Amino acid sequence: MGLYKMMDDSLQLQERGLLLIASLIVITGVLAVSLATNSLDSKILALLGCLIACWLSIHLILRHSSHRNGDPFFLPLAVMLIGIGLTMVLRLKPALFLYQSIWVIAGLFCFLFSVFFFRHLEQLSQYKYLCGMIGIVLLLIAIIFGVDIGGHRSWVILGPVRFQPSEFAKIFIILFLAAYLTERHELLTSATKHYGPLVLPHPRFIAPLLAIWGLAMVMFVVQRDLGSALLYFGITIIMVYIASGRLTYVLLGIILFFIGSFACYKLYAHVQVRVDIWLNPWADPNGKAYQIVQSLFALGSGGILGSGLTYGFPQMIPEVHTDFIFAAIGEELGFAGSSAVLISYILIIYRAFKAALETINPFSILVAAGLAVSFALQIFLIIGGVTKFFPLTGITLPFVSYGGSSMVANFILLGMLFAISEERPKHAP
Amino acid sequence: MHLNITDKFYKNIRGVAFSLIGLLVILFFYLAYVQIIQEDFLANHPLNHRALELAAKTQHGTIVDLHGEKLAVSIPDGSGGFKRKYPYGPITGHVVGYDSAKYGKTGIESTYSGDLTGLNNPLRHLGPITSIWKNQPGNNVGLTIDARLQETAYKALGTKRGAIVAISPRTGAILAMVSKPSFDPNSIDQSWDTVSQAADSPLLNRSVQGLYPPGSTLKVMIAEAVLAEKIADRNRIFNCNGALKIGPDYILTESNHQAHGKINLEEALAVSCNITFGTLSLELGRNRMEKTFERYGFNRPLGNDLQELSSRLPDFSRLSDGELAQTGIGQGSLLVTPIRMAMLASSFANQGIMMQPYLVNQVTAPDGTVVKRFTPKKWLQPSSPQLADIIKQMMITVVNAGTGSGTRLSGISVAGKTGTAENPHGASHAWFIGFAPADDPQIAIAVIVENGGSGGETAAPIARQIFAQALR
Repeated sequence: MGLYKMMDDSLQLQERGLLLIASLIVITGVLAVSLATNSLDSKILALLGCLIACWLSIHLILRHSSHRNGDPFFLPLAVMLIGIGLTMVLRLKPALFLYQSIWVIAGLFCFLFSVFFFRHLEQLSQYKYLCGMIGIVLLLIAIIFGVDIGGHRSWVILGPVRFQPSEFAKIFIILFLAAYLTERHELLTSATKHYGPLVLPHPRFIAPLLAIWGLAMVMFVVQRDLGSALLYFGITIIMVYIASGRLTYVLLGIILFFIGSFACYKLYAHVQVRVDIWLNPWADPNGKAYQIVQSLFALGSGGILGSGLTYGFPQMIPEVHTDFIFAAIGEELGFAGSSAVLISYILIIYRAFKAALETINPFSILVAAGLAVSFALQIFLIIGGVTKFFPLTGITLPFVSYGGSSMVANFILLGMLFAISEERPKHAP
Repeated sequence: MHLNITDKFYKNIRGVAFSLIGLLVILFFYLAYVQIIQEDFLANHPLNHRALELAAKTQHGTIVDLHGEKLAVSIPDGSGGFKRKYPYGPITGHVVGYDSAKYGKTGIESTYSGDLTGLNNPLRHLGPITSIWKNQPGNNVGLTIDARLQETAYKALGTKRGAIVAISPRTGAILAMVSKPSFDPNSIDQSWDTVSQAADSPLLNRSVQGLYPPGSTLKVMIAEAVLAEKIADRNRIFNCNGALKIGPDYILTESNHQAHGKINLEEALAVSCNITFGTLSLELGRNRMEKTFERYGFNRPLGNDLQELSSRLPDFSRLSDGELAQTGIGQGSLLVTPIRMAMLASSFANQGIMMQPYLVNQVTAPDGTVVKRFTPKKWLQPSSPQLADIIKQMMITVVNAGTGSGTRLSGISVAGKTGTAENPHGASHAWFIGFAPADDPQIAIAVIVENGGSGGETAAPIARQIFAQALR
């Protein structure tokens, strides 16, 4: 018992130390922007103090509850990314700093709530169809009632509240898939039918896979949201692969996606435009490819060390504070800053996979793996998009982009991962 | 059983984790490629407006004249940026140029933009550290222009269209460069529509980009050529009866239809005799005529930041006899810029040596240290000191006893040549090229007044005012 106590204490100290470093990054960033623009505002400093108090109290609450075994890297990494995000929001859109801070506080509370709630994750698997329904309904709401804000038709407006259902749908779909796949994994693996050289499972078992593929295609065409389509479809095939171990599914999924995408490319002009911009942005740098070309200019002008906060011109990129905030980081903080952000994400993803590998409940394993996959795909799509590594898709940068839905949803997701990481056996390092 | 499932899941998750994290690591290297390898391409791409914006935020260096008189200064515009102010307004409009966010830059503002804005600083790559000296203004540019002389030249042209170029014959330093009509660079944004569309092209810097037939001013070069080629000596007597029949159907005449009678080369130059110089051009022939133009550099670009338009020379091998004679008196299809004629005059003032004309003396850092200094450079040696001296004597005679009398100054000997260039666009252009004092030349000049009529009556008195100011 004494040994466990000591280990718990070392995790606590580790998390506290990392949180303090992350807090230092936020303080430095906000002070740098304030001093450079000569607008040192006591309200902003008070808000900053409030935020730091918030995450430190969450740390204390979590480490003094009955479970003390959670991964000490999740919260500090998220706080560091939030710090960079808040600094950039203050620098790009000072008026939105207050709102973003409120969203961070809301997100932190959702994180805490999420940790407590998902400590009993196994019970949720009973409600898998409810989860699946909620996820699909949220996506359908976005498809049917979606309003175009800033180039994405993924917003739903309910009176004074605007939110992006797809950010939350992700969580429900992952829960559904995890529950469905733990239950059926054997059938997916063994019940097969032979179609010539192809060995495929019985159609009954690939029905959900086909359903989500169809949904993704609809999102692609109706919402013009290639990013979400790829994200949901990618999560589905990879989770099916994890459960079944059959690469056939992955292959089948990729073939289906290419058929669908090719048809869309041929049929819809806006898909062609997206792909053509990606293939050669310099053909129309002042027109269709304006955003991506400006993003590349920002990244290139930043170089290794960046222009320094407030000394660059990231405002030349349209929508810089949401989808293109990564390019702004690349310009003002240079490769030093942008690579720090990318490495932080890679660490979170690494720890998420580690949580999946250290838990023993099959359902929890699949949930954690699904969340890790969704996080990894999202990072790849958005950072790959703004650097022209991949066609541009409108997806937010978790914890950094301005926006409430994304902030809250990602904190819930992180809370789930934290809760799962608490399940690991006490002897795990 | 349970263990079995979880182990299988673990194995598959490991594979997925390696693949996805591997994908992100590839993205990491790609990001490094964009931000480090492609940095220069992206940062300096012409469509990347960051350099312009950065320039607007820094205080540009001051442009000063020969004596430190300010020609362009940056003053705060009240909103964190800077505004360019030109104390001499239209007087230095073409030389100094304008700097407009909307319409770009011209003149020194354009050619020395990197120095003036400080953006060509090699320490630019140090990132945020550079903000330590970012609030420093750009480098100052010192011109060879003498603002007082420039003002005199500007006023001397009055309301007429034309150009004046004054250079120091010994160094090639440009002392004054005026083009009329001019524009006010202080209000270029407001007056752009009027100025850019005006029929008399105020934005055109006529001194380096105006192409004109040189008329009789070219006769000094032909005189040097016939002496150099030993076609005639100073004692040869020509007989001018007012008309010269060339070929079956062309007759070259004197502009005032008078016969000059029996004259030598010096007298022919003094009265600007077309018959004599037409005859000499025919004797010189197409080849030697072409060689003469080459010797004086007319086919060679100046190759520095003067943004000069190159002269239009005829295709000599295809010239008819009549056209050859016309070329020799500065007519026909030949077109030159005023700066070239000032350089031609300066070569006779400087023992047959043409110096490289230049506009910038030095570039200095805000703390006064010299960043770049320009030293006079010999460009060409078209003539020998002896021949140049003979032509100089002839040019003194032009002023003392010929068409150039309008430039005579008491106590100072002036050398010159007038020209009255016929052109298809109306009245003749009035020309004067020359230098003073003849025994110790300080200034060489070319004056052209578009459609100004007789060179002796219109251009020569303008040159006189500039000589008077320069030699005070």
